[in-house]
Amino acid sequence: MQFNFIPNDLPLPIPTGGLEAVDVVLTVLLVVAWLVHILFINVLLGASTGSVYFNKRGARENNPVFDRVAYLLTTPVTICENMGALWGVAPLLLISVMFTPLFYAAAIMNSPQWLHIIYGNIAAFLLSYLYKYTWHKLEHRKSLHLAIGTAAVALFLTLPLVFMATVQLYMTPTTWTLNTHFWDALFRADTFFRLVHFYLASFAVTGLFMMIYGTAKRKSDDEVTRQAGDVLVNTGKSWFLLPTVLNLFAGPLVLFHFPSYGIENFFNAGWYWLIILGVVSILGAAYLTIKDFFNPDLSKGKLWSIVGLAFITVLSMATLRHGMRLSLTSEAMAQSKAQSDDFVARSKAASEEAKNAQKAAAVATLSPAEVALEKNGCLACHSADQKLVGPAYKDVAQKGYSDEQIVALIYAPKPENWPDFIPMPPQPQLPKEDAAIIAKWINGLK
Amino acid sequence: MFDFPIFSMPLFGHRFIFAFDAIVHVFVSHAAVGGSIVLAFAQYFAIKNNDKKFDELTYKVLFTLFILATAVGALTGIGIWVHVNIINPAAIGALLRVFFWKWFVEWIVFNVEMILLLMFFLTWKSKPIGTPAKAGHFKLVVGYAVASWLTMAIITAILGFQMTPGNWLASEFPAKPDYVASLMNPSWIPSLGFRTFFAILWASAGAMVLTWFFTKDDAETRQKGIRFFGKFLYASVIPLLVFGYWYYLQFPQAAKDLFSVGAVTRRFAVDPQLAVQITLGLVALAVVSSAYLFFRPTKAPMLAAIGLLVASGTLIGEFERVREFVRKPYIIYGYMYANGIRVQDMPLINKEGYLKQAVFLPDELRKITPENKVKVGEQLYLFECRYCHTVNGINSVKTRVKGWDEATIYHRIGQLNSPATPYMPPFAGTDEERAALAAYLVTLNADSKH
Ligand code: HEC
Ligand code: HEC
Repeated sequence: MQFNFIPNDLPLPIPTGGLEAVDVVLTVLLVVAWLVHILFINVLLGASTGSVYFNKRGARENNPVFDRVAYLLTTPVTICENMGALWGVAPLLLISVMFTPLFYAAAIMNSPQWLHIIYGNIAAFLLSYLYKYTWHKLEHRKSLHLAIGTAAVALFLTLPLVFMATVQLYMTPTTWTLNTHFWDALFRADTFFRLVHFYLASFAVTGLFMMIYGTAKRKSDDEVTRQAGDVLVNTGKSWFLLPTVLNLFAGPLVLFHFPSYGIENFFNAGWYWLIILGVVSILGAAYLTIKDFFNPDLSKGKLWSIVGLAFITVLSMATLRHGMRLSLTSEAMAQSKAQSDDFVARSKAASEEAKNAQKAAAVATLSPAEVALEKNGCLACHSADQKLVGPAYKDVAQKGYSDEQIVALIYAPKPENWPDFIPMPPQPQLPKEDAAIIAKWINGLK
Repeated sequence: MFDFPIFSMPLFGHRFIFAFDAIVHVFVSHAAVGGSIVLAFAQYFAIKNNDKKFDELTYKVLFTLFILATAVGALTGIGIWVHVNIINPAAIGALLRVFFWKWFVEWIVFNVEMILLLMFFLTWKSKPIGTPAKAGHFKLVVGYAVASWLTMAIITAILGFQMTPGNWLASEFPAKPDYVASLMNPSWIPSLGFRTFFAILWASAGAMVLTWFFTKDDAETRQKGIRFFGKFLYASVIPLLVFGYWYYLQFPQAAKDLFSVGAVTRRFAVDPQLAVQITLGLVALAVVSSAYLFFRPTKAPMLAAIGLLVASGTLIGEFERVREFVRKPYIIYGYMYANGIRVQDMPLINKEGYLKQAVFLPDELRKITPENKVKVGEQLYLFECRYCHTVNGINSVKTRVKGWDEATIYHRIGQLNSPATPYMPPFAGTDEERAALAAYLVTLNADSKH
């Protein structure tokens, strides 16, 4: 595989101390941190949508239980937005270090939209806090309250667009051109199906979360909260089931839209076993849920069996995701490293050559005035006999100033003396002794 | 060297969008670190005196802090990364590789900080003052304060490293960092002390102002709150100055020389007194307004509260700006220029040319011809100059070369790093490339010449 545009790798070692074991640690950290991050984000998206949904139903049907469900869901939103952002940092850190050339290139191609993950997020956070902390104040202005909540949810839902475009782009350097940009990446079939898969999974995971959360709330001392717990458990079941079934179709579409060389590497390395494991255990979880779909008392044992099976799926998905990442990027990373090594070797040679040349060069004999001109930056704009940014010193000499006048003009230039030039900035940094030497030297050029 | 696709920000320029995020982050994160310390003391005071009203006031300050720290502070902190990521990937990439494990530790501490903050904040209402549960609750804020200070300690090491990396480069080819030396760089400890007290000062100023707003009809709590936070403000001044001076001593001489240029605009190089006068004016405003609040808490007008916030905020902004500016022309002192070119790679780029190293470059621009010269020059401008200049917005290069002919520009480009403009990195490339850049720059003013 030859890639047209692969940046060099950084000429600094990846901080593993050269140990294979540390490399493995980094990979495990990447997979685990990524998984935790995604679970928080899943629940964030699902719970914030659920809160607005039940808030609206509660208002329409004048049902305090739905209102309570909606309010209860704001606590996981607060926790998940904060912990989700925080746990996003670790994978970002690891990816940036391990896949520097590919990841940075993709982020830049997706800019300025890439910055949406900061500014869009800040706006969404603030709106979600506003939604939560005006709950009682805006009790009688529901439409305004719902509008705030909806805006927050809508913003949260846009963030995965940017992430997914970048993630998909860095893993597929074969698709890069000189003009690849965010919208190209976003409207590709592979990005599209991954987004579908991700959003569906968010609701499925939130369904599981609602089952757990509802079971806990059923034990509350408060009657309304207990009923809200029932609603959460029941809603959780259907939120888990429906997207899960749909994802059985979306999943293969995601897989087969990757570039074929990546799929080949993926199968050759045996990663597909994880797919089988994941599908089997999610089918088990779905089966258990269906069996107890109409049973209002989901026992603890059954609940944790469902969650446990689903977790096996999530874990295998997270791991095979890494498998696909390696399958797609290892050749590009190898090319990057080779380019980089070549660059460093050439740079080393050139650097040594330059050092030797410097030693060999005879020390030029400059007059004290020339040294002063060089040292004080005058030569950036002047030369002795050539008009540059400023007039040639030869021409200044023609003006017939006294030495003192020249010194004064250096500290306080009079641009009107040279109408064809831009004004010279005053040169306060110039020491008085140097100014005198320079002035004398200029007048010597006549 | 590496070459990425180019993101260029028209009119505002890179530095501006970065500075926007960074300055917001500085304000909020210092308020959060200082605030966590001050709030821990405030809680202690409230619990000790079983003072319900003061406890309520603390909660209101905490609420503000929570919203700001989590929604704005944490995200703009990640934002600094994300911005540099697209603006100067070479620099952030290098910093990440040298500081990876320190950053990782910082992330773990950050987790502790966030979890304690969430627990402290979300369970406040269920652990009211006067109950035994409050004592356990108090431990959360102590842990939170310690953790948030530790995150600052680690980040400060990285900032210190950029300015005073010390002897961190164990070998040049291939580059090998000395991880311990990079952490223990000369300005770490002094700048940490400086930032700690400036965080306390800034948070106390903020808490005084918030107290003013939250106690409109409770003169007694207002007086108590403002005096309480005011003591922290005044107590941090002396250590702030001592650490500040020690920190200043660590700066390289070339950076010290740029101080007056860094303070707001280059015009101050002409009149260094002006920068000093403005700074002293701000200090005076901070002193007068804080004293007004402190000694006349019930009478002090809103203007005093706002004056205190504006004066101390501007001083912080000025400090950060100067710190960023005087590091020029480097982004990592002595190792990497602001435009991502490593100092040690200059001989190669000057010998073989920049174009030869570039990856994201159309093939027709790889060889300079009379026809494509201007286009190549534009690319070179994007490669090397867009970090600090825009074409016709902030620090516009068009204005900088106005009235110069091509030969003049060509000459000037050869001297970018001269003592007249020591904050610019030297041009990197062959003579032919330098001529192409000049050919492009002269076209910028072609229309307005006559
Ligand atoms: C940024 C470019 C620049 C630098 C740096 C610069 N000059 Fe000039 N200089 C000019 C220009 C343009 C003029 C003509 C317009 C003017 O005088 O304002 C000029 C004019 C002069 C004159 C003639 C003044 C007159 O009124 O006839 C003297 C003498 C001079 N420079 C000396 C110096 C010395 C000495 C230094 C270094 C300490 C220096 N310049 C640095 C741009 C520069
Ligand atoms: C590290 C940031 C930085 C980089 C990179 C940089 N410049 Fe500058 N440049 C500056 C600053 C700051 C000024 C002064 C602006 C002012 O006058 O306030 C300046 C001024 C200039 C001037 C006016 C100098 C004079 O004598 O008045 C020119 C011309 C210029 N830059 C060209 C370039 C070119 C060409 C490049 C790319 C090869 C470049 N710069 C790269 C920061 C930079």
